[in-house]
Amino acid sequence: MQTKITVVKPEIPEVLEIRCHRIGDEVREIIAFVKSRQGQFTGYSDDAQYEIAVGDIFYFESVDNKTFLYTESNVYEIKQKLYELEEMLAEKHFLRVSKSALLNLMKVSAIRPAFNSRFIAVLFSGEQVVITRKYVPALKQALKGDK
Amino acid sequence: MTFKEFLISRVQLFFFLVTLIFAVSMILGLIFTPEQELHYYQLIGPFLIAALCVLTTFVSYFRKEPSVWQLVLRHSIQLILIELVVVTQITPPVDGNPMVFRIILGAVVFAVYLLASLMLWLQKYIQSKKLTEQLKKLQQSNS
Repeated sequence: MQTKITVVKPEIPEVLEIRCHRIGDEVREIIAFVKSRQGQFTGYSDDAQYEIAVGDIFYFESVDNKTFLYTESNVYEIKQKLYELEEMLAEKHFLRVSKSALLNLMKVSAIRPAFNSRFIAVLFSGEQVVITRKYVPALKQALKGDK
Repeated sequence: MTFKEFLISRVQLFFFLVTLIFAVSMILGLIFTPEQELHYYQLIGPFLIAALCVLTTFVSYFRKEPSVWQLVLRHSIQLILIELVVVTQITPPVDGNPMVFRIILGAVVFAVYLLASLMLWLQKYIQSKKLTEQLKKLQQSNS
């Protein structure tokens, strides 16, 4: 696929147009990336496609090389990798809390101590996400407002 | 936990232990040898025992996160080492039964170990409460 960029005048609206022979995984990934930059994610569940706003996301989890997005009551598979999301959402109070989870701090109702130098984040949905000891200093820093 | 944080927590544990060993020595002394007088140099005892006990806790340090069973195993080894240090380092009173004294001492060490672990847990509980408060502030400031 060739890339063509045309700089337009400020009065002309910005448009991202994709010209392709068919809508495959590559095109879907590009669309998902652009939407995520605009605060929206494309999630897949039961062969259907859904648009999810960043504000509705509780956390992301990576399982067997697949990334899942969790809202209050639904789970969707998404195309992005966890490290990409971490970079993309750092300014939106999303924090890596374990090797496999990226948590939305705005959806956490309480932090509880756990066995084995860990903490547990209790979400407003009632779900619990483990904060492993490696990520505890980053959490403290984020809550102090350093991040 | 980084090694630096681990060292800081060991220093805290050392002072907890010194305080508790002083208290336990006083109680045991009053029960077994209330008439005995101590010299200043004997005050070094609790510091020495606490230091040896803290050294044994280095068994429980993990660079990578351990599983629950690894943790239980390491803490059990640690407790056994502490028991050994204390039972071998403290001489039973001459006029008492040494075996009874050692059994009581072993039980006391076990109780002290539990109490110290409880205090560390309490410290973590307070830390989690503080983190929750900071989290609420962050959420309020961004809502």
